[in-house]
Amino acid sequence: MSRTLVIAALALFALFALAPLVAMLLRIGPADVRDLFEMRTLSLLGRTLFLGIAVASLAFAIGVPFGFLVARTDMPAARLLRPLGATPLLLPSLMVAMTWAVIVPGLRGAPATIAYLGLSTFPLISIFTSRAFERIDGRLEEAALTVGGLRAVLRMELPLVLPAALVGAAFAFAFAVNDFGVPDYVSSIGPKFNVYADEIKLNWDQFQRPGKAVASALPLIAVTLLALAPALVLRRRGALASLGSDFVSPAPLRLGPWRWPAFAFCLTVVAAGCFVPLGRLLWEAAAMPQHLAQGAGWGSALQQGAETVHSEFGVALELARSDLGNSLLFALTTAAICVPVGLVLGHGIERGPRRLGRTVELLAILPIAAPAILFGIGTVVLWNHDATAELYDSGWMAILLFVGRYLSFAILISAGAVAALGQEMEEAASLAGASPSRRLVSIVAPCLKGSLVASFVLVFVFAMRDLDAAILVPAANKTAMLRVFNGVHFGRDSYVASLCLLLVFAILLPGLLWSLFARRRLEVLP
Amino acid sequence: MRSRKEGDTGPGWVLLAYDAPSAAVKARCLQEGPNLGFPMLEMEFGRFRRWAGAALALLSGLAACGSEPDLVIYVAHDQIHSEPLIRRFESETGLRVRAEFDVEANKTVGLVKRLREERSRPRCDVFWNNEIAHTVALAGEGFLAAYDSPSAAGIPATFRDPENRWTGFAARARIFIVNTDLADPASLDSMDDLFDETWSGQVGMARPLTGTTLTHMASLFSVLGEEDAMAYLERIKSSNDEGALNLAPGNGHVMRLVRDGQLAWGWTDTDDFNVAREAGAPVAAVYPDQEGIGTLLIPNTVAILAEAPHPEAARRFVDWLLSPDVESELAHSRAAQIPVRADVERPAHVIGGEALKFMQVDFAAVGAELVQRQELLQGMFLD
Repeated sequence: MSRTLVIAALALFALFALAPLVAMLLRIGPADVRDLFEMRTLSLLGRTLFLGIAVASLAFAIGVPFGFLVARTDMPAARLLRPLGATPLLLPSLMVAMTWAVIVPGLRGAPATIAYLGLSTFPLISIFTSRAFERIDGRLEEAALTVGGLRAVLRMELPLVLPAALVGAAFAFAFAVNDFGVPDYVSSIGPKFNVYADEIKLNWDQFQRPGKAVASALPLIAVTLLALAPALVLRRRGALASLGSDFVSPAPLRLGPWRWPAFAFCLTVVAAGCFVPLGRLLWEAAAMPQHLAQGAGWGSALQQGAETVHSEFGVALELARSDLGNSLLFALTTAAICVPVGLVLGHGIERGPRRLGRTVELLAILPIAAPAILFGIGTVVLWNHDATAELYDSGWMAILLFVGRYLSFAILISAGAVAALGQEMEEAASLAGASPSRRLVSIVAPCLKGSLVASFVLVFVFAMRDLDAAILVPAANKTAMLRVFNGVHFGRDSYVASLCLLLVFAILLPGLLWSLFARRRLEVLP
Repeated sequence: MRSRKEGDTGPGWVLLAYDAPSAAVKARCLQEGPNLGFPMLEMEFGRFRRWAGAALALLSGLAACGSEPDLVIYVAHDQIHSEPLIRRFESETGLRVRAEFDVEANKTVGLVKRLREERSRPRCDVFWNNEIAHTVALAGEGFLAAYDSPSAAGIPATFRDPENRWTGFAARARIFIVNTDLADPASLDSMDDLFDETWSGQVGMARPLTGTTLTHMASLFSVLGEEDAMAYLERIKSSNDEGALNLAPGNGHVMRLVRDGQLAWGWTDTDDFNVAREAGAPVAAVYPDQEGIGTLLIPNTVAILAEAPHPEAARRFVDWLLSPDVESELAHSRAAQIPVRADVERPAHVIGGEALKFMQVDFAAVGAELVQRQELLQGMFLD
């Protein structure tokens, strides 16, 4: 481990990921904290905790069987359904809710919020569950299979998989309690379903007491940290343990007559979380509701729809070309910075001094737990000065904002991957005289290629779809995501739907290209 | 060490490490000496250099993002309508303009927040707001400079700050959008129709916490007085709790719910209504309370920042924006903004101020009390 590299990476992390949050926390006064204990806010917080638990439970109920079926069984099309099952995570949850609210208008309020957020977050659990099932030694499984068949296998494996699934559920909980768009949207009809994230958002809309706004974010940050900290503990205790050198990969389990019902279940889940939202967008891009309302038959409506899609995509591409280019440039550069810095810090967490490693790991959760709006304002407060004027006005500010927000994902993915990598090769190269940085570039990085590409893709995706933090920083304003939300207001449904599809395509592109042409899988988990 | 998996195809040296015990690797490293000498390792460095070169080329393109403009405008009016106008101003004057647009999700406050946070080093010259209350609040806090634009000469005094720190133009009205398949527009005429049992569960408005709905509710205090305004808000709250009145995330959403027949009618803005009208939806507009307090008109406002880095260019832009031609163009746009000057040419569907009774609002008082009203509404509607 190169001390210079680690110090430089830590400095970057502190400056761009932690300093904006510290700048905001310094604004809190004692009176601001007192306001947190009103009955109204406590009631909101209680309702939000209930929502988080309900969403995590639903995501767990869908994610565990889905993860098991696509990773470990002979279910038809499992290899195709597995990556498709991760797609809902890449789509904005509000988009999923907007789609389903049109299709199932009767489902509203808390049940709808739980259903749509559960659908958006189940991939977090299925990804963790799939990897956990893959890490079970084939010999153990074979023994269980011989003794008691598939039931015995599941009885033996579920306790081993449960910690990993709970880690995924902790993330689902964290995502759910921070979402305010979906609860507000789905309770447009019927009594309003308010959540605590709304309180934070509205406090930001008031300006006279910035300390109150920051203070109101503290309970949600605390709740998110409380949910994510056990995830780190579970990882430390071996929930995501490295595999031994004599590990034998388990063979696919035969489902027998359950193959097709299992396929139907997974297909339904993928359809609900991915095909339906994207299909609905295409439907709107083609202006099919208008064509059908004008009395056109299906054949004629489809023909008109194809023409509409063609022209609306042209309009969307023409109007949003520059913003789409900015989004791609910002997201690609952000990912290109985050991956090496994340590798250095992830490696440092695992191979460096234990206490320092744990501290950095815990601090890495903070930018994930903090509301985006807090991060955006913190960045403005920190960098809008005469001395940094050139930087603040340049495109670099957008990149540094995104680096601060999303570096944590690269750090945590790399740390997990390094933990699963034996130290022998690094020790051998060290004995041979290779410098720490050379060992990192030549030995560690190639072994973690799948994880590094995964962290690149994940950071790219998050930077592409960022809205809440980007709104506040001038340099980050000219992005495709902001243009989509500007368009939504005026209800230009075909244009906005076309723009959404273009954006979704751009978001998915790097992951798709890697999946199509690379021989190695993306490894978000080791 | 991780076992080799099917499909794993790392560099050769790494594959060797996967296959062989670590002792063999150690031995080979020791034999080869400090420079290692593995061809695959060299290849990794070569790839790294190429990637680094490509990354540097990519990053160099970012420098262009920071070029200095002649004028910086923060625009809360919808980008889709304001951007072409700003580009026209650029081509007519030769000035390079950087426009920062707010998004609907922020309901204007995003840019206002930025103006406040940037107070120590102002970046903005002109603030073009799509409503009035926040502009008045900014003026009260000393953010805005006085400028009596010659183009504002024909604008009625109601829409101008007595101290010339802001000027109103091109307004929106708060109206009922009615789905004519589900309700007869002639049967609606008052804001109290919201609570008529006939429409229980079929009527909606935006949650009164942000945007023009917040300004609307705050204005009711100025027009109706504290007691009556509070009573009205409490009726809204209890009706929502009973499921009789629906509260949507925004006015655009109310428009969609009515347009699609999920609601019979609801409270929205004229610009949202016009979108449904242009799409051919079965909708009609009702300007409520013509026999009572009148319909609320919320103008766009424009102001020059007190510490504007480019004050001369800012004045040029304000003169241009307040001209009758631009106001007429905004009336002809999809936003269908209502000109505040009676003599400005407009399309037939944009109703004139002289044809209707509009609510008489003391916008200075509304702006000054906005935060207090917002806190009250937050306590009522976010529980």
